Amino acid sequence: MNRNDNDGGASDVDDLGQPGGISQGKDRLPAGLEKERKRRESAVIDDEAAVLRRENLASTREDAAHVRENAAGLREDAAHLREGAAQAREGEAHVREGAATAREREIRAAEMTQAASDDQMIRLRQVNAHLVTATIEAHKLAEQVETAKVELDHLAHHDVLTDLPNRILLQDRLGQAIELARRQGRQLAVMFMDLDQFKHINDSLGHAVGDQLLQSVAQRLVGCVRHSDTVSRQGGDEFVLLLPYIEHAEDAALSAQKMLAALALPHSIDRHDLHIGVSIGISIYPDDGQDAETLIKNADTAMYHAKENGRNNYKFFEQDMNARAVQRQSIEACLRRALERQEFVLHYQPKINLHSGAIVGVEALIRWQHPQHGLLPPAQFVPIAEDCGLILPIGRWVLREACLQARAWQDAGLQPITVAVNTSAIEFRAKDFLENVRATLADTGLEPRYLELELTESVLMRDAASTDSMLHALAGLGVKLAIDDFGTGYSSLSYLKQFPIDTLKIDQSFVNQITSNPDDATIVSAVIGMGKSLRQSVIAEGVETAEQYAFLLGQQCDEGQGYYFGHPVAAEALATLLQTGISTTFPH
Amino acid sequence: MATSDLLRHQKINSLMAQPPEKVADAAIDLWGKMAIQIISIVGEGGFNSLYARSVFLTQASFPWLAPADLSSRQDQRFAQLKTSFAGQTPAQAGAANSLLLITFTDILATLIGEPLTTSILRSAWGNDASDSAGKEFTNE
Repeated sequence: MNRNDNDGGASDVDDLGQPGGISQGKDRLPAGLEKERKRRESAVIDDEAAVLRRENLASTREDAAHVRENAAGLREDAAHLREGAAQAREGEAHVREGAATAREREIRAAEMTQAASDDQMIRLRQVNAHLVTATIEAHKLAEQVETAKVELDHLAHHDVLTDLPNRILLQDRLGQAIELARRQGRQLAVMFMDLDQFKHINDSLGHAVGDQLLQSVAQRLVGCVRHSDTVSRQGGDEFVLLLPYIEHAEDAALSAQKMLAALALPHSIDRHDLHIGVSIGISIYPDDGQDAETLIKNADTAMYHAKENGRNNYKFFEQDMNARAVQRQSIEACLRRALERQEFVLHYQPKINLHSGAIVGVEALIRWQHPQHGLLPPAQFVPIAEDCGLILPIGRWVLREACLQARAWQDAGLQPITVAVNTSAIEFRAKDFLENVRATLADTGLEPRYLELELTESVLMRDAASTDSMLHALAGLGVKLAIDDFGTGYSSLSYLKQFPIDTLKIDQSFVNQITSNPDDATIVSAVIGMGKSLRQSVIAEGVETAEQYAFLLGQQCDEGQGYYFGHPVAAEALATLLQTGISTTFPH
Repeated sequence: MATSDLLRHQKINSLMAQPPEKVADAAIDLWGKMAIQIISIVGEGGFNSLYARSVFLTQASFPWLAPADLSSRQDQRFAQLKTSFAGQTPAQAGAANSLLLITFTDILATLIGEPLTTSILRSAWGNDASDSAGKEFTNE
């Protein structure tokens, strides 16, 4: 450039400093000048060529610049295109990303839907399981309720011990049978059955054995009847049989005989072979009653007659039996009045020391001073009193009266003697028995050692554990204890040793025969020996003859009681005996 | 309902009519197949309740049937039932299982209805019964 600038300066101004000098001196200039001119022309030409070259070069450079500009434009275009392409790709990428995102969302949604569906299935299955289980449980509960209802219904109509129909079901069946018999003009029979001496077994061997015996009896009775007949248990040892289809009254008699025969065989219970009889009363519809109540009542009445006729048999009802039943009812009502009106009295039978002949005690025996029938012995009313529960208040009265009397004799200056009072099983098992004895002694002021309670073997041997504690409690009070009617019941020798018994009273049934029956003599001797060994006093009941007295004396028996020494007498008479001395009343 | 019951019962009896040596295995096979179907609907708990109840009721006729003690292991689920059958003659085992299945399906039918019960049993035991009872069963 600099070179061009220098060249440019030379071409614009000639050496003379005059413009256009070359063209005017061409023809007239010397050779040197010519030469100079030529040189200068050549130089101009060279300059022009150089200018041309520079112009060409400039053009070329301009062209190059244009080309470069074009190239730059192209590059710019290309860049724009690339940018456009890139933007397009980016747009496409965005679209694809959006699509992918949408797909992912769809997949996630589908997965969530699937998971939700699985959860729902599981929950449904669980719900179903609960529903099934709950329904099954509900079925079971409903079944249990139904079973309980059936059981309750069964319990309401059956006896728990024997599972026989009870009184309610019998009433129902009897009512229906009567209706049917009335429509068809037929007869039916009702049999009232009561076991003989069951109380004795129950008292002596205990309720457990008694219950098993009742079950055994129930089974045998059921075995004797037809399917259409009804054997029911009324309670206790009473059974009622309904024979709804009989042709004649004799059919009932045949059934009764069959039952008597069935029950005659021993019952093997708890290592005991038990024999039990049954007394049967029979009433027939329509002759002996038109309704269930009357038929049962009349069969019951007939049963009592069967018992009075020696037990273990049967009796048909007869109208005049009712009179006796009415009498029994009457006695019960009168007994209640007798208590209120104080119609009972005590008589006292002396107990004698066989060696000295002295009265050592008395047994208090109840009598009923009946306003119409006179003085009645206990056999005529005590069983009824036991049946109807009056024995408890009567027993309490006897105890109080005996204690009062014994104390009165002592207060009158008579020698102190022991007063013995008979105690029944019902009294002994009464909850307040011990307290009543204690209170009576306290109220009457009698020293306990002058009171003796007489209990039978059957009372003592039942439920030995409670008996033992009660006996020790009584002995703790200072009261004396005696076993009454010894030898007629079931005594356990181990209990005999364990119980705090003071006295054994040999039953009069043995004493009666001691001089005529060697076996009885042996038994009495053995009991005396045993009593002495156990350090118990022995007293013989029912001594009626001098021979019996002599035998007992010879056997070293301690005491005796019986008509030989004195009948039961009123308190005043006994006081006289005490004053005068018994030794004068019987020969030695 | 009575006819349907009869057909279902007949189906069960026909399925249990097996040669003596196969009775126990056939019984367990029927239970296994039915259990899968029923468990898928009412779960283990529901099935166990049904089964325990059925065994209890069937014990009245077959007291030797062991009380239900269902294992949670699928392959051991009816091991106790199989043990019970093993102590009996094939005839006894077959009769007991027929009654057990009938009792089970009867209870199921009271819960979900006869059509659903039939459908489930069809899924469990298939439609290819060869006897007439089975044909009637599948044509219900």
